[in-house]
Amino acid sequence: MSPAELLRALVRKVAFGFAVAVIVSPAILVFLWMLSLSLKPDIETLDYPPSLLPETPTLDNFVAVFRDSPFLRYTINSIIVSFSATFIALAIGVPAGYGIAKAGAAKLSVLILISRITPGLSYLIPLFILFQFLGLTATLWPIIITHLVITVPIVVWVMIGFFESLPMELEEAALIDGCNLWQGFRHIALPLARPGIVVAFILSFIFSWNNFIFGVVLAGRETRTLPVAVYNVLTFEQISWGPLAAAALVVTLPVLILTVFIQREIVAGLTAGGVKGG
Amino acid sequence: MTRQSNPSREVSRRSVLKAGAGLAGLSAFAAPGLMTHAKAQTSGGFDWKKYKGEKIEVSLAKGPRGDLVQKYRKEFEELTGITVGDEQIPEQQQRQKVLIEFTSGKTTFDVVMISLHVQKKLAAKGNWLEDLRPYIKDAALTAPEFDYPDFTQSGIDYVTNTDGTVGSIPCNLDYFVLFWNKEIFAKKGVAYPKTYEEMVAAVKKLHDPAAGVSGWLGRGLKNANMTPWANFILSWGKDYIENGKLQTDSPDGIASADAYAKLVREFGPPGSVGYNWNECQSVFAQGRGAMWLDGIGFALPLEDPTKSRIVGKIGYGIYPPGPKAHRTSLYGDGYGISRTTNKKGAAWLYIQWATGKLMQARQLQGGYGCPPRKSPFGNADVVAQFRSQREFLDSMLESAKIARPGLPEIVAVTEFRDILGIGLTNIIGGADAATELKRATAEFKPILDKESA
Amino acid sequence: MVFALPALLVIAAVIVFPWVFTIYMSLHDWQVGKPTTFIGLDNYLALATDARFLGSILRTLYYTVLAVGLPVVFGTLAALIFHERFPLRGFLRGVFIMPMMATPVAVALVWTMMYHPQLGVLNYLLSLVGIPPQNWVYDQATVIPSLVVIEVWHWTPLVMLIVLGGLAALPIEPYDSARIDGASAWQMFRYITFPLVAPFIVVAMIIRTIDALKAFDTIFVITQGGPGTSSETINIFLYLQAFAFYKIGYASATVVVFFVLICLLSLALLHVRQRAKWT
Repeated sequence: MSPAELLRALVRKVAFGFAVAVIVSPAILVFLWMLSLSLKPDIETLDYPPSLLPETPTLDNFVAVFRDSPFLRYTINSIIVSFSATFIALAIGVPAGYGIAKAGAAKLSVLILISRITPGLSYLIPLFILFQFLGLTATLWPIIITHLVITVPIVVWVMIGFFESLPMELEEAALIDGCNLWQGFRHIALPLARPGIVVAFILSFIFSWNNFIFGVVLAGRETRTLPVAVYNVLTFEQISWGPLAAAALVVTLPVLILTVFIQREIVAGLTAGGVKGG
Repeated sequence: MTRQSNPSREVSRRSVLKAGAGLAGLSAFAAPGLMTHAKAQTSGGFDWKKYKGEKIEVSLAKGPRGDLVQKYRKEFEELTGITVGDEQIPEQQQRQKVLIEFTSGKTTFDVVMISLHVQKKLAAKGNWLEDLRPYIKDAALTAPEFDYPDFTQSGIDYVTNTDGTVGSIPCNLDYFVLFWNKEIFAKKGVAYPKTYEEMVAAVKKLHDPAAGVSGWLGRGLKNANMTPWANFILSWGKDYIENGKLQTDSPDGIASADAYAKLVREFGPPGSVGYNWNECQSVFAQGRGAMWLDGIGFALPLEDPTKSRIVGKIGYGIYPPGPKAHRTSLYGDGYGISRTTNKKGAAWLYIQWATGKLMQARQLQGGYGCPPRKSPFGNADVVAQFRSQREFLDSMLESAKIARPGLPEIVAVTEFRDILGIGLTNIIGGADAATELKRATAEFKPILDKESA
Repeated sequence: MVFALPALLVIAAVIVFPWVFTIYMSLHDWQVGKPTTFIGLDNYLALATDARFLGSILRTLYYTVLAVGLPVVFGTLAALIFHERFPLRGFLRGVFIMPMMATPVAVALVWTMMYHPQLGVLNYLLSLVGIPPQNWVYDQATVIPSLVVIEVWHWTPLVMLIVLGGLAALPIEPYDSARIDGASAWQMFRYITFPLVAPFIVVAMIIRTIDALKAFDTIFVITQGGPGTSSETINIFLYLQAFAFYKIGYASATVVVFFVLICLLSLALLHVRQRAKWT
């Protein structure tokens, strides 16, 4: 290789590295800034010019979040709600995905599609009136049920994609061997679809965890989930940015960690669900 | 999350005070006190333990008054044996939550802090709250030291509905005062204004963007901006609604809105159209605003060295006389009992305690807000504490003389604030005042007509 | 078909029932302290002349166009970069998609702080490169673009993933023959990569459109539709009608109209997708 070629290759590499840095930096910077704010004492969060590194780093903000509000309870609520809504969605959504994929029920998939399109907010008014009527408002059930609006379509959607990609031969062979439809599903299709179920679980869990609007209207003091709680930490003095950033970080950290560790599954699910999404 | 419910920060604040020797004397709300009277509430043979073992839920709007009752909640629990589950939610959400819960037919809370300037009429129309008159009269239910006549007439008027029923007991009267930064005033040799014209001149003189100082801080955000405009329209001799007729597009209404919008636009910090009180408060606490027009109930964090850079430099000014009248606007909150609860007795005990003489004295002493009772202002401990900062007390007593409710007593207050507030935001943004207000008034008129029909 | 039955029941209860009930409510007048009365199409007639509602439609469209276009452009560029092999690619891709998974409310709160005109870090960063401070979400003219910036930050990764999926499926042969013919990198992108990836980009656009129309959390937390009504999209409008003003019937009518709009838009996009397939 001639020196000129070497130089060109080097320039290319540097330019490429720069491009990578540019596209990754917004994500990194916002989360770093969030972390930085959460580690600063109140008065330092408002310093101008601001500095990324806290002068006197402190964990007080995190302590304050858990001490001054029942954040632990909100965390437990969030865990209960997200797991329940996800498991219910899996229990009914996986068979449904199988049925739709194998029976080619296009009309049903359109129904799921439309429910994916409809803004969550529009379910809120009728469901709110329904819960008024049923008087469930002091329990976690309304929240779990409304979260099904999010989780069921995700699960069904991802599962349709996975079952469609499974070869039919195995089940056909099983049916010939005398298995009934259910046995075919239970013993042949289900084990094969395990990766798909994992993906559906993760996506459904994250979207349920992140949901905000249902809780804002339906949750009470003891039934609040984390995103609603963090919004309520907007204190009397909005100048307390430190605790606010700390609370925000507590809410979103589990999801972020999950994302980095199992990004392969998320990528697979979103592209499968996504490409089908149109 | 706030200082009051936060013991360690309290300690650190004290150490801060110790460190900066001279500062301690300046911080108006620092000293503890009033603990001596805690037993006074149990006198008179009244049975506070009647509802022992019950558990009540209290819905509070986030703010100093919520902090106050939460800080002393244990005292009530010990006094009565009642367990209290309370929580503070930011005021806008709390109002929505209260609305949603009451319309659902059964509330999850037993006691509710209700904003008198927003939801009083709505609560009356929806028949949300117990009529408290029979409770007040009943000696078996009400402790003698509750002493209802100790409340000021304006406080009593504020909670009394047009049909004579009393939906809540007032816990806070929020007068709009002019917070001013004495240091900034002194630097430019400006005195506190005695008239509206002087105020505008002072704003102009003190406005110094190069030094990062805004002459004027006031809410620009839709809905929220209706409270400072109230001060202006009152000073132009009008109420928002007079005899069922909207005055917002009257010549005085338009002139007052234009005047307010101009101050915010030309002498407020950039981005003021999106400012609610909390943004104004942040900027003022940073020492970057000369004057801020807002409720006296927002004073507390300004005097907290962990949150404010201007402790001891704050003046509490009475809003100066305007072109046509000397007025300031008044807002308030009260505690009511949900009509749907079956723990009315326990709920009423809580309200008596929360609005009692001791708690109200603490409210004044700690700078948590202006109590609607007369007795705190005569309390020797309280007055002694403000010897060096008499101004704080005077701003309330003097404002009381010129105060009128800032918002109209109608059901659709929220919509009124929203629709007219959008108009005002647009004017601050540079739109023509007359056009905007005629449009907004016309938009709200059918809603008002429908309500009174 | 039996397999889908439980899901069908649940969907009927939590998804189809609300649709039907919404239509029912939209024909009634619901007010605090008054019995519910049937008023026919009055809510719809009122909506048709409600300047605020019509304004919210325009703002929603403005927001949607920006919130679809920008992530599609940036996401495609990012996908081209992540399609290359380079050290730490897997990890950096994980970092890159973090915003997509982050809790919107938490993120919105942090952006609010960053956008603060006096104390926010963004104006400080701008001042370092000599750009005067902006008012961001505190200005009627810049509020929607500023909100879109957050949306772009949030959702560009999804577009990247979809396009990356398309790139991964590309055949190798055309490139080999193009290289033999001496084609430039740009020519290869323009005449081979782009046409093959285009269907995926269209899919990304469809998904983005749907999500942009649903946008609520960020706008609600940061501006509640303000300053004035300058960021009041249909979602915010209907939230205020329902839960701030308690005009349940009116809000329901809004939902119905909005739903029809979304379906029309989706149909139009599906049509585009079909055409994209043919070419």
